[in-house]
Amino acid sequence: MAEPILKVKDVSVSFDNQEVLKDISFSVNEGDVLAIVGPNGAGKSVLFRVLMDFIPYDGEIKWRNDVKIGYVPQKFFEKSELPLTVREFFVLKSKNLFFKDKKFSDSVSHELKSVGLDPEILDKQLAHLSKGQSQRALIAWAILGHPNVLLFDEPTAGIDLAGEDTIYNLLHKMKDERGLTVLIISHDLNVVYRYADSVLCINKERICFGPPKRELTGENIKQLYGESAFYQHGH
Amino acid sequence: MGIDNQFLLIFSSGLFVALAASFLGAFVVAKRMALVGDVLSHVALPGIGLALVFGYDPIYGAAAFLLLAAFGTWFIERKTELPPEAIIGTFFTATLALGVILVPNEELFESLFGNLFAIKPQDAAIIMAVSFIIFILTIMLSRRLTIGIVAPDLAKSAGFKPDLSYLGFLLLFALSVALGIKLIGSVLMGALTILPAVSARNFSWSLKSFLSFSVILGLIMTGAGIFISNYFNFPPGPTVILTGIIFFVISLLFKK
Repeated sequence: MAEPILKVKDVSVSFDNQEVLKDISFSVNEGDVLAIVGPNGAGKSVLFRVLMDFIPYDGEIKWRNDVKIGYVPQKFFEKSELPLTVREFFVLKSKNLFFKDKKFSDSVSHELKSVGLDPEILDKQLAHLSKGQSQRALIAWAILGHPNVLLFDEPTAGIDLAGEDTIYNLLHKMKDERGLTVLIISHDLNVVYRYADSVLCINKERICFGPPKRELTGENIKQLYGESAFYQHGH
Repeated sequence: MGIDNQFLLIFSSGLFVALAASFLGAFVVAKRMALVGDVLSHVALPGIGLALVFGYDPIYGAAAFLLLAAFGTWFIERKTELPPEAIIGTFFTATLALGVILVPNEELFESLFGNLFAIKPQDAAIIMAVSFIIFILTIMLSRRLTIGIVAPDLAKSAGFKPDLSYLGFLLLFALSVALGIKLIGSVLMGALTILPAVSARNFSWSLKSFLSFSVILGLIMTGAGIFISNYFNFPPGPTVILTGIIFFVISLLFKK
C-alpha cells in the first residue's frame, strides 16, 4: 500500500489547561474521503486548525511532502466593512491585486463553472451572495491553484437540502476528476455513509476510526452523541 | 491674503499626509479599529513633550512613541488576546497624563490640535517623502491586509501571515500619525485617517472604489480645509476635519 498522504499520531490540544483534543491518531490515503464526525464542541474544527498548523499542539502530524491544502471554512462572509466584490475576493489569491491578469481570471471563471456558479457573479458584492452561492464560491476559492487536499468544514445549517445534496455530488466529482483527497467535517451521518471511505469519530478523544459501515455502529454512535441520539441508517 | 511660501509648504505637505493617512484609514475602518486609531494617535503626546524638553523636532519624539505603542499593541494583543481597544485604552490615559506633564503648557494645546510649529522646507520634504513611502508600502501590503481582514483563516490556509501584515499596518499607521502632528495635531489625526474612509464606504461598491474614494476624499478635504483655514486664518487641523465632516454628511445622501 502506498504511503498515506496524512499521518496523525497522538495529537493533543489544550486551551488554558483544558484539553480540547486528546491523543487523536488516524491516517488518510491519497484520493480518499475522510469524514470527521462528532457532537458540537467535540473539537472537529480545532482538529482542522491543527492540521493546517494554525495553533500549537502536542503529538505528530505528518503530511506528505507534496501536499497543497485548500480550505473551505464553515462560515465566512460575516458582515464586513470591506465592500469586496467576488472578483476581488478571488484576485486576493493572485499576486496582482491592482493589475488585470488574463490567465488568472480565466482560471477563476473555470473554477466558478466547475462549482456550478455563473461567472457573472464576479461583479456582485461578496456580502450579497446567498448562502449556497458563498459556499460554492468558497469551494472555488479553495480549489483555485489546484490543491491536492481539500479540508471542508461543513456548515451546520443554512443550506437547503437540495443545495446540500449537490455540494456533496460536487465534492465527489472533484475527488474523482482531480484525485483530490478530501477531509470533511460532517454533521450528516447519511452523507458519511454515502461518500466517505473512512470515518473518524471524535468527542475530544477518538471514539472510532475506519470504514463507515464497520465503525458507525449503534454503540459507537451512542457513545459519540450520548444515549438520546436517534439514528436511523438508511440505504 | 497672499499665497506665501509657508502656505505652499503647509498645503503640499498636508496633501501628502492626507494621501498616506486616508489610504491607511480605509483599512483602519475595515478592521473596525477607528477608535483604536484615534486613541493610538494620542500616544504621541509624551513623545512630543520629551522631544521638546531635549530640543529635538517633535515629529521624531512622536514617531518614536507611536511606533513603540503600535508594536506594543500588536505584541500584547498576540500574547493576551485582549482586544486592541482595551490595550490601547489602558495605555491611553497613562500616556496622556504623562504628555500633559511633559509638554510645556503653551505648546500643549497645539500638539493636540495642530498648527504647532512653522514648517521649514526640509520638514516639508521629509513629510512628503515619508508619506509617499508609506503610501507605496500600504499599496504593497493591501492584498495581504485585505485577506487578513476578510478571512484570517483563509489567509493562513493560503500561506499568508496575517499577523505580520497587521504589524506592518500598525507601524505604517503610527508613522503616518506622527507625520501629521505638526499640521493637524495628534487628536485630529485620528479623524483625518478615518473620515475619508467612512465617507467613501457610503458609496463604494468594491474594494478598488473604496480605496480610491478614500484617498480622493482625503486629498480634497485636506486641500480645501487648508485653503479655507488660510483664507479665514483658522488653524488648519480643525478646519480640515470640519471640511471632512461636510463630505461625510454629503456621502450619507448616497447611502441606499
